[in-house]
Amino acid sequence: MVKSMLKRFTTLDYVITIILLGLGFVFLYPVYYTIIVSFSDTYNITAGNVKFWPLGFNVLAYKQILSNNRVPLAYWNTILYTAVGVMVNLSMTALTAYPLSRKNMWGRSFFMKMITFTMFFSGGMIPMFLLVSSLGMLNTIWSIVLPNAIWTYQMLIVRSFYMSIPESLHESANIDGASEFRIFLQIMVPLSKPAFATVGLFFFMGHWNNYLAPLIYLKDPAKYPLQVVLRQMLINDDTANYNLAIPDNLTPEAMKNATIVVSMIPVMLIYPFAQKYFVKGMMLGAVKG
Amino acid sequence: MRENQTTVNTVKQIKQNSEKASLRKEKISLKSRCIASYHKFLKSRQLLILFLPGLIFYLLFRYAPMYGILIAFKKYSPFLGVSKSPWIGLGNFKNFFNSPDFFMLFRNTLLIGFYNLLWNFPAPVIFAIILNESRIQKLKKGVQTVSYLPSFLSTVIVCSMAIDFLSPSGGVINRIIQFFGGKPIYFMIKPEWFRTVYVATGMWSGTGTSSIVYLAALTNIDPQLYEAGRVDGCGRLRSIWHITIPSILPTVITMLILNVGSIINVGYEKILILYNAATYSTADVFSTYVYRRGLQGGNFGLGTAVDLFNSVIALILLVLTNAISRKLTETSLW
Repeated sequence: MVKSMLKRFTTLDYVITIILLGLGFVFLYPVYYTIIVSFSDTYNITAGNVKFWPLGFNVLAYKQILSNNRVPLAYWNTILYTAVGVMVNLSMTALTAYPLSRKNMWGRSFFMKMITFTMFFSGGMIPMFLLVSSLGMLNTIWSIVLPNAIWTYQMLIVRSFYMSIPESLHESANIDGASEFRIFLQIMVPLSKPAFATVGLFFFMGHWNNYLAPLIYLKDPAKYPLQVVLRQMLINDDTANYNLAIPDNLTPEAMKNATIVVSMIPVMLIYPFAQKYFVKGMMLGAVKG
Repeated sequence: MRENQTTVNTVKQIKQNSEKASLRKEKISLKSRCIASYHKFLKSRQLLILFLPGLIFYLLFRYAPMYGILIAFKKYSPFLGVSKSPWIGLGNFKNFFNSPDFFMLFRNTLLIGFYNLLWNFPAPVIFAIILNESRIQKLKKGVQTVSYLPSFLSTVIVCSMAIDFLSPSGGVINRIIQFFGGKPIYFMIKPEWFRTVYVATGMWSGTGTSSIVYLAALTNIDPQLYEAGRVDGCGRLRSIWHITIPSILPTVITMLILNVGSIINVGYEKILILYNAATYSTADVFSTYVYRRGLQGGNFGLGTAVDLFNSVIALILLVLTNAISRKLTETSLW
């Protein structure tokens, strides 16, 4: 079979195959490079020898970032913010999307207009900061979670999912005497698992990778999530200030890359499974060609 | 951009609903409409209770900050608060328009948006077509999968990788330049390189994800078209030109309009990490200025004025492209 395929292989096929292999390499290599640098020793990193595999393999960088509290604490903060954030997102999204999906809701079109408008115009960074600060939420987890409790775009996705559920299901539940609360909790929520998986993935990625909101709203370094700590390592290059005792045989670069690798672990773990939902999420809003 | 697409649908629905409502209006008198509305209100009170947290969210975190925009017209003092700070009319705007920063920010925002569109709009289209042409299914699937990987990584990580790769001491790109006999380039502190770095990192992290829409459009092309083409003696390159591209053109044009409408919404999260004092002259855009001078520097009034100016321009641009698109094609947001 391979032979017959090769016979039909034209110059164009070879060009395309080479381009695709090249592109695959370009997409993958930076991630791979980050991993191998984190396992390499100082001499080879500074000399620029590390290319395709770790040179002078060691786990010193990992030992170092785990030896003081900074990265583990940030990791815990990230897990906390992500868990609470995703829960708040999902419940608020479902609670808002469901009533808006019901045709008999009072004021539905007005509320929809009111919500759609916020997609095009917002108060902006500073009024939002003043609001969060006047609510006394600065420097707490709520400053990150609540101001973005609903992502309008994701809410609309869930809403159109609810609208696709047949009306008859609703009617029969109604005849059986179920209240809207019960219909919502016992029929709609269990039914919306696939929709939750899709938008939930985006919530997870959003919280796990978020750095701007924590940077704006959190002042206490002990509350920083991983991404803010990474940003500090990157921008201020302040590794030296925080880890006064960097061993001679360790570069800040190896430490930074080790931190990146540990921060990527959960994302890499879900990536193979999440892809399906990711593509679905991207397609849901797509225009029909 | 993705937001805009669902908005297309939602807005259409709203339109239809209001049209239906206006038809009914003529027949029913005002009084009976009020009674009907009241009954509907009573009937849907359970739904409204469910909706309450969402309503509070939108009023508190989306509409209340709009009230805060007032400080763009005030001399803001943290002790007096938003409502009691003294009015200064357009003072903040005048200061901003008269400062040398204004022209620089305006130019930077537009140029970064323009170059980003110029490079990163065609990239996913071309990528999707190349993927579609590959006859080795495993390679196609593999590269497609790998191309989504970068969009799972955070802005901080992407920027960190870019900085590592571009480092003048031992960065991969500079090693290649030196290999070919060039001198190492200090990419991150040269203003003339900033836009290239911005666009290139965007291309790396966004191409795979953006190509999903086009790949879907490509799978919808009728295979019979290609067969007919082959019978007529159409080579592969020619069938790409005469069949593939025309078939996905409607999708491409729609996406282009949406992209042009949001050209001014530059991804400042990335700029905040990639730029530094040495590259402000090409990298500083309205939103980074709002963050640095407004929020960090404590010039709340000025910052809000700049932010408002930026949002209004963005909104005008969106309305304009939308109007043009409605004229030229049938796609529009409202």
